[in-house]
Amino acid sequence: MLSLLIGLPLIGAALIGFWPSKGSPTLFRNIALAVAVGILGWTVAIGTQFDLASPGMQFQEYLPWIPQLGLSYKLGIDGLSFPLLGLSALLNCIAIYGRGETVERPRLYYPMIFLVNAGITGAFAAQNLLLFVLFYELELIPLYLLIGIWGGQKRGYAAMKFLIYTALSGILILAAFLGIAWLTHSSSFDIGSISTEKLSLTTQLILLTILLIGFGIKIPLVPLHTWLPDAYVEASPAVAILLGGILAKLGAYGLIRFGLQLFPETWAVVGPGLAIIGVVSVMYGAFSAIAQKDIKRMVAYSSIGHMGYILVAAAAGTPLSLLGAVAQMVSHGLILAILFYIVGIIEQKVGTRELDVLNGLMNPHRGLPLTSALLILGGMASAGIPGLVGFIAEFMVFQGSFSVFPVQTLLCIIASGLTAVYFAILINRTCFGKLDNKLAYYPKVLAAERIPALVLAVTIFILGIQPGWLVRWSEPTTTAMVAKIIPANSAQIAQKLNNFTP
Amino acid sequence: MTTATSTKLPPSTHEFADIIHRLEAGGAMLPDTPENLMQIIGIYKAYAVPMDFYWRDLLYIAEEVFLEPFNFFKYFLPKEYLELHNHYAGDDADLRIWRGEATAHPELLAFMEKGELNQKIPRLFHHWLHDRVNMEFAEACMRAMYWHGRDMGWGKFDAYLDSDEYKANADVAIKAYFKGNPVMLGLYKLFPEMFLEQVRQLSYYSNLGLFWEVMAPVFFEMSDLYDEGKLTTVPEAMNFLVNGIFAIAGRPIYHHAHIRGEVYEIIPKSKGFTWLYEAALPYVEAVFYRTAPFRGTKSYNAQAKQVPDEQKDFHYGILYADVFPVGTAGIPPTLLMQDMLHFLPPYLVDYYRQYCRGEDDMLIQLGITFQRSMYCVTSAVIQALRTALLYPLDDPNPKHLMANRRFFESQLDRFKRPESRIREIQSQDYR
Repeated sequence: MLSLLIGLPLIGAALIGFWPSKGSPTLFRNIALAVAVGILGWTVAIGTQFDLASPGMQFQEYLPWIPQLGLSYKLGIDGLSFPLLGLSALLNCIAIYGRGETVERPRLYYPMIFLVNAGITGAFAAQNLLLFVLFYELELIPLYLLIGIWGGQKRGYAAMKFLIYTALSGILILAAFLGIAWLTHSSSFDIGSISTEKLSLTTQLILLTILLIGFGIKIPLVPLHTWLPDAYVEASPAVAILLGGILAKLGAYGLIRFGLQLFPETWAVVGPGLAIIGVVSVMYGAFSAIAQKDIKRMVAYSSIGHMGYILVAAAAGTPLSLLGAVAQMVSHGLILAILFYIVGIIEQKVGTRELDVLNGLMNPHRGLPLTSALLILGGMASAGIPGLVGFIAEFMVFQGSFSVFPVQTLLCIIASGLTAVYFAILINRTCFGKLDNKLAYYPKVLAAERIPALVLAVTIFILGIQPGWLVRWSEPTTTAMVAKIIPANSAQIAQKLNNFTP
Repeated sequence: MTTATSTKLPPSTHEFADIIHRLEAGGAMLPDTPENLMQIIGIYKAYAVPMDFYWRDLLYIAEEVFLEPFNFFKYFLPKEYLELHNHYAGDDADLRIWRGEATAHPELLAFMEKGELNQKIPRLFHHWLHDRVNMEFAEACMRAMYWHGRDMGWGKFDAYLDSDEYKANADVAIKAYFKGNPVMLGLYKLFPEMFLEQVRQLSYYSNLGLFWEVMAPVFFEMSDLYDEGKLTTVPEAMNFLVNGIFAIAGRPIYHHAHIRGEVYEIIPKSKGFTWLYEAALPYVEAVFYRTAPFRGTKSYNAQAKQVPDEQKDFHYGILYADVFPVGTAGIPPTLLMQDMLHFLPPYLVDYYRQYCRGEDDMLIQLGITFQRSMYCVTSAVIQALRTALLYPLDDPNPKHLMANRRFFESQLDRFKRPESRIREIQSQDYR
């Protein structure tokens, strides 16, 4: 089943790339959309078969590929990866749907998006370290091209920066994986066959640090984040959705899957340090966003802040905080997607992203009223207003981490207040106020352009009032993962014994 | 009209010199283009239909509803008032301005029957579904006249409302209206000013109703003349208004209350209040220039000092209004724009479809057109005042022409405020 999930986008890419006749952008877009919906449908089908009670790997597939290297085609998903697969399938549809008709060079554009999707799916499903690196690196070139060809004014610079940072991240991850396999004398790179228990603490710490830097670039964590504002801002909205919505999750996923799962004992040791880095990211993201004058840049920095929560939660390593981390990944993906999508619409219609120029977009006849309303909803979701999915995720993170890192958690809560501050600034300058009568002859937002934002808004709202649908996938997995972490203090032991069941 | 003045006087140094020169040449404040003419005439037509409802209902409230404390149905015009003959239309007109029927306009009757829903349901349901004429707008104009009328003080009408004679007339009517109702009579005994003030307001209902009774047929006739090809330029349209103003200037303004089949003359016709001085000029000042700050645009916070202390400094009328927020909360003209939307002539709808967001923002496009047309009406008022108080435009005496120019300049000084839309309406890009 999972192979088909990786295969579908590859088929789509090949179909469009090698389409025999010249074709029109609309034709390619329709093909791409059909394939993307097919992927989403297949993901839903997998979801219906998903065993909610099982903490382990499901839908496993195994093919010995190059045994000499220890590389095997081993796939499987669990509660950690399935929600992210679902998110990726949804955002892929939206990225392809969103303003796709006008895209230039569609025969290159859609295959690139599909390659990204295949890479992401593969990376989430890979149960072999080398296979993961393979898929991880598969992202690199398509995204470089997506930013570099279809991006904004400074796209060349942004794309190159992204490429170098991500390539470095890949090398570090590969280095860590090789180190893990060789030092443990493991026969293959399959996750199940690797055990780090026998390594000395120092070795484990070094390997974990390399992994941390590698995935920290991708998440990104402060101070490894500097590629992000450029890449997000210069990318077109659809690519920014893919980048921020899913790619960032790959970093967080990698950190939990390989950092926490492979080094459960050491994780407890580095936990406090990670929590501090997370808090710094959260604070840095919030303060930087407050200072921005460009709404896309604001959203980009908000992303740094929100990914910081995930690190704090993962570092705390309680069942609830880990569940919160997964929920936060999904919620951040949805929220970032709606925000980028709406910022894209505003930029397209109004022609600017400057906070000082934008004004009065709530005007029902001359402004962009529904877009503004959804922007407010997205901003509130991002700031953690109850009733929307952002609150659920953040609250689980806070509730889960407070017992382990009270100070860091409190700082995160303060930062979530700061999130509200910059979103209030953004909404105030963009949606409220009055239109400039000399400029305000904006084209209308077509019904078709609203659909992706509405779909995301409905999802955000439903998961906000029915959070069970968000967390039920991951609960057994995250609980099982935590059980392996050696608790650093008695408080954690108590929690472990409690065996969290909501 | 002549352009002789331009050679007799040196060019004006006023900020709006171009507009002043145009006024001196017999033109209007907005440029004479076929597009402008089409817009202003089209909107006159769209304005006149709801206005036909406004004036009838204003008179109905002033005369029949009167002091009804629970006036839930004051917007439900009875048949008599729909069939009430306009004094300036039809065969039995006092002064026939419009060649059409004197009873309510057929488009208005059709709208009242079926509404936007295009369904014949009882009037009460149309009302509840807000499928109706926004009579609240007419009342807001009336209150602006009333409140500013107290301040302006240059008509005799408002002064009369404070006279003993008026109070005596009102007293008789109040007692007659509440006859057999000891509660209300007792209240009247306790708080006589309360009811007196209500009657004063009702007198303004009557005043505005009588004003619009004239304007509706004027606008209908202009629309018909345009359709027949007899109005071809903006100055012609303006001059039709000027001539109309002078023809009708002496019509009486009064307030009669109909109580139990008897007529109580609260302000009798014999007092000699006339249309131009007691209704038209106060209306233009109160509604076109002043009104009240929009709740959605200005803060009434006394410390913020956004609203002027003096009523004469109010500048929130249609000539200054920002039409772009029409349709949002706290912007009263929205009510009128919605009313006019139902009655746009087809050529105007086609015109709006070509620009901006087409039908989606028609409310704002028509609002800006309405603003243009009200600049034309104001131009007519300024020209009429100049005719009444000063000299003809082709006067050979340069001193007289200079007096005219000073008058025009003083009038245009009021548009120097940044809020004034006179700069924008000079160009078609403002839409």
